[in-house]
Amino acid sequence: MRRILIDSEKCLGCKNCSIACMQSHRGEDGVAGLNLSSQELESRNTVLMNSKKQYKPLFCRHCSKPGCAKSCMSGAMVKNPETGLVEYDYEKCAACFMCVMNCPFGVLKPDRASGTYVVKCDFCADKGSNPECVKNCPTGAIKVEEVTTV
Amino acid sequence: MKHVIIGVGAAGIVAANTISKHRPNDQIVMISADDAVYSRCMLHKYIGGGRSVEALSFVSPNFFEARNIVWRKGISVTGIDTAAKTVSFDGGTETYDKLLIATGAKSALPPIEGVKDCSGVYGLRDLADATAIRDKAAGAEKIVIVGAGLVGLDAAYGLIEMGKKPMVIDMAKSVLSANLDERAAEVYQTKFEEAGCVFRFESKVSKVRSDGAGNLSCMILGSGEEIPCDLLIIAVGINPESKLLPGKPDKYLKVGDDSVFAAGDATGLSSSWPSAMEQGEVAALNMCGIETVYEECLAQRNTVNFFGIASVSVGRFLATDGDTLDVRVDKGRYQKIVINDGVPAGVILQGDISRCGFWQYLIRNNVNIEKIPRSVWKVSFADAYGLNQDGEYEWVK
Amino acid sequence: MSQRFSCVTCASADKPLERFIGDLPMETSFHRVESQEIKCGFGLDGVCCRLCANGPCRITPDSPKGVCGANADTIVGRNFLRAVAAGSGCYIHVIENTARNLKSTALAKGELKGSKALDKLCAMLGIDVSGQDIYAKALKVADAVLDDLYKPLFEKMTLTENLAYKPRFDRWQELGILPGGAKSEIVAGLVKTSTNLNSDPVDMLLHCLRLGISTGLYGLTLTNLLNDVILGEPEIRIAPVGLRVIDPEYINIMLTGHQHSMIAYLQEYITSDAAIQQAKAAGAKGFKLVGCTCVGQDLQVRGAHCTAFYDGHAGNNFTSEAILATGAIDAVITEFNCTLPGIEPICDALQIKQICIDTIAKKANADVVDYSFDKRPEATVQIFNEVAAAYKARRKDVELRLLPEHGNDSTLTGLSESSLKGFLGDTWMPLIELIAGGQIKGLAAVVGCSNLTGEGHDVLTVKLTEELIKKDILVLTAGCSSGGIENCGLMSPDAAELAGPNLKAVCQKLGIPPVLNFGPCLAIGRLEIIAGEIAQALNIDIPQLPLVLSAPQWLEEQALADGAFGLALGLPLHLGLPPFVTGSPIAVQVLCKDMIELTGGQVLINGDAAESANLLEHIIIQKRKGLNLE
Repeated sequence: MRRILIDSEKCLGCKNCSIACMQSHRGEDGVAGLNLSSQELESRNTVLMNSKKQYKPLFCRHCSKPGCAKSCMSGAMVKNPETGLVEYDYEKCAACFMCVMNCPFGVLKPDRASGTYVVKCDFCADKGSNPECVKNCPTGAIKVEEVTTV
Repeated sequence: MKHVIIGVGAAGIVAANTISKHRPNDQIVMISADDAVYSRCMLHKYIGGGRSVEALSFVSPNFFEARNIVWRKGISVTGIDTAAKTVSFDGGTETYDKLLIATGAKSALPPIEGVKDCSGVYGLRDLADATAIRDKAAGAEKIVIVGAGLVGLDAAYGLIEMGKKPMVIDMAKSVLSANLDERAAEVYQTKFEEAGCVFRFESKVSKVRSDGAGNLSCMILGSGEEIPCDLLIIAVGINPESKLLPGKPDKYLKVGDDSVFAAGDATGLSSSWPSAMEQGEVAALNMCGIETVYEECLAQRNTVNFFGIASVSVGRFLATDGDTLDVRVDKGRYQKIVINDGVPAGVILQGDISRCGFWQYLIRNNVNIEKIPRSVWKVSFADAYGLNQDGEYEWVK
Repeated sequence: MSQRFSCVTCASADKPLERFIGDLPMETSFHRVESQEIKCGFGLDGVCCRLCANGPCRITPDSPKGVCGANADTIVGRNFLRAVAAGSGCYIHVIENTARNLKSTALAKGELKGSKALDKLCAMLGIDVSGQDIYAKALKVADAVLDDLYKPLFEKMTLTENLAYKPRFDRWQELGILPGGAKSEIVAGLVKTSTNLNSDPVDMLLHCLRLGISTGLYGLTLTNLLNDVILGEPEIRIAPVGLRVIDPEYINIMLTGHQHSMIAYLQEYITSDAAIQQAKAAGAKGFKLVGCTCVGQDLQVRGAHCTAFYDGHAGNNFTSEAILATGAIDAVITEFNCTLPGIEPICDALQIKQICIDTIAKKANADVVDYSFDKRPEATVQIFNEVAAAYKARRKDVELRLLPEHGNDSTLTGLSESSLKGFLGDTWMPLIELIAGGQIKGLAAVVGCSNLTGEGHDVLTVKLTEELIKKDILVLTAGCSSGGIENCGLMSPDAAELAGPNLKAVCQKLGIPPVLNFGPCLAIGRLEIIAGEIAQALNIDIPQLPLVLSAPQWLEEQALADGAFGLALGLPLHLGLPPFVTGSPIAVQVLCKDMIELTGGQVLINGDAAESANLLEHIIIQKRKGLNLE
């Protein structure tokens, strides 16, 4: 499968990945019009800082053993055996947020504005090619590569 | 190889999926008393009218066809012959090479005098229960729910959505006492009360009475108080449906000889949707000959989401002597971390549960966080951040 | 079971304040630190350029130049000079207004409280005023200052030579960094750094030094001296500090800004019969000013002239939200920074009237009052009407959340180059002897702002100060650093206990604390005078003195201009956080190393208190060795 690989040492915490993610999922083109005060905008990724003040990018791994899918009681969160992506179906989701509790890395969150769905990386599946976060990373801290473990 | 799975709940379905993935040429037969696949965690949404039966399903519509699974629905298995490797039911038998018992559980019924003699008393476990409650509730006004746990409040929420104002009775002092502390529970209690719900705590139902025609007409509390009631929902817990199990599950979830396994609530092990899925997968792997040990989950881990307020509670959330308790309250958030000897024992997070999943990992794996030189509120995966060669995260020491 | 009620708020060296803010129901800067924790590395390194439509361009190993060809050195140089120019602009605005106020007061023959200060100033500036009255003298001084400020770039300011210590002036002349008109230097800085103009990082860093000189001698030094003429000179005294100074029985006006002369009329009006009657009619005992930020420090050092209307300094820039949150402040009068946008929603929630008296510092939800010199009398009446109305409207609804135990009553204040010298017997010799004898190892000026980055509010400032005094280094402060240090008790004579044995003995003998508060950031100019006078007494240049400068928690562009002044003076300048230049090897080389050859100064960046104190002590010891004192 294709996975976003992370080189955290290259991360400068510019949050371009987060802006790109918000942009990619807001349903309109053009970063210039992005209203970054809007509560509706959500980034699937984020950058954490550890106690040594190093940046640690937090991106959905589409895990081979996804804790989120393994706790989903509505069938909304499913690992696609063909693409390897953990796909999320808004319609099916019952907003129980078991997946949020069960992601061992703390990637998932409920949406901020309505609290009715899960903010989950979809690999910008509708955009073709690479996810927008990867395209917009200025340092090459994230890149997409084919990996063997699905 | 022929696998027979009894039950189409979380454990059974995950098991079937796992077997089909690892042994695509094996034969799979599923037998279930249910004639639909549905998530019982969503039954209240069916009562409330938010979801149809189809929308309660947690599998794709072609789940069985796509995996060449024979599904014998509406059949209650009555017995197992481990020597002959057959399961029997009314009107037939099915042979197996490997058998999984994933029969789930039934609502526990407390000893209430007179329950057996009148109609209008239900558990909330199966689709049949939900349908009956919905039908009965349509014409009922005096609805009482026994049990203010998750299932009881689910029922109350569904009924509120129907426009009802149920009374909820519990022996505890607060709602969700198994999942939340009093402070977090009170937030939900208030919301339910604002929606018309009435609570009676530290109370229990000792008796019900019928109107003479066999219809429930009133219930009597332990205190002797009589409360008119035309629909009573019992939500005080579950009893594992374990009568088919030849023995107790071992670490491979084997329950008898090498051919019989169990998963889900039927095992009597930790009971929750994720636990059932985990057990279903482990049992299925062992059925396929892939030796896998089941590691018991945390008994207490749950999420609550009513009225747009989400909570997560994991582990032992009530502090006792020797614990350190960290509490943070602001802007609709309530967060509480119980730490013992540097190791988080339990958390409650309410109002904001964003990116909180690492807490379960820390609690489940007894990770000492005292060595991390920062506030407990800033603990995250970042301080144990690792990546394997395929780019998956791993916790590092 | 032990229970810790942690809050999400940022830490402070001032623990009662930290707890107070942690328990507040409203959001403050302390609450927002966490959500801004991840800083953009390009911004931190200074290598993000937004000067043209090809940008923003950012420097990475794979993209070492912007589209235009600017490399990291050029981009950092431009960004840094822009910041220093803006910071200089702030201080030059302050001296311009102060000089104009002096001129207007002189022309109107208004009250000038510092005639002795005026004479000293005329002598210093070489202005011949023999036989003239105080107003004529003041007018000449004001005109001389304004003339310099408005000179073109190609014409050097004339007072520089009078203000600067001679060896410094000579060195600046050699380096070609004597400034032209102060305003023109700012414009030149902005023009140089515009799109596709100057690309020479060294030229731009040298321009920062020019701006440092004009900022320091005019924006800082002269502002103090002109204020001394208008408002009276500082006198050493003990005064209260902290939230305790707020008396809820008065109508309280919190001040923010840097321009004490702007409120000269307003502060006197408080004691007028009209104001007292107005307050009483509203149900209060009177009006009072509550100090916050640098203008509050200015009132504090001049407290001897302000006892009737000023209760004391409550706290520094990042304490302002907490001061308002007490509920006992009825209005905020703003004439400049540091006035956080974060106070606006608090003022709205607590019905606190916000009034700006300098259009430069217009706040989003505040009224601007035309407070020019001629209109001050009517404008003041209008302001007092509004503030009294606010008091009446709000006090019945607003819950008081006072913290009377915060701060202390024993903070030594009122220090200036004159008052300290006077205290020593009108000579620096006692201090020089203490330094020579090693009882005082050296001097450290811990100045500048407060910020919430790093370990938290005033944390590095206070820890570093504690470390320095432990090493027998006498600490002098100016700016918001003073506000934090005083509220933590280090400016009380009792704090001598915290000093090293030698300094402790000196403090106990003289009855002074080991940290001396000169007040606002403007008073960095007073420290420059002291440094110059001590150097003169020893017949050495300033860089030879066992004197170091630290802005451990610098916050803003003004601090960078101050820092440039420190470098021009040839002082070692410690910063707790890098000033957005670390992406440029040349800038780092020039600021941290080559500067020693240029001016004798050098930038040292270290965020750890103990390490920083060791670094500074090491430099002081080296300088002592240079003077054969070790």
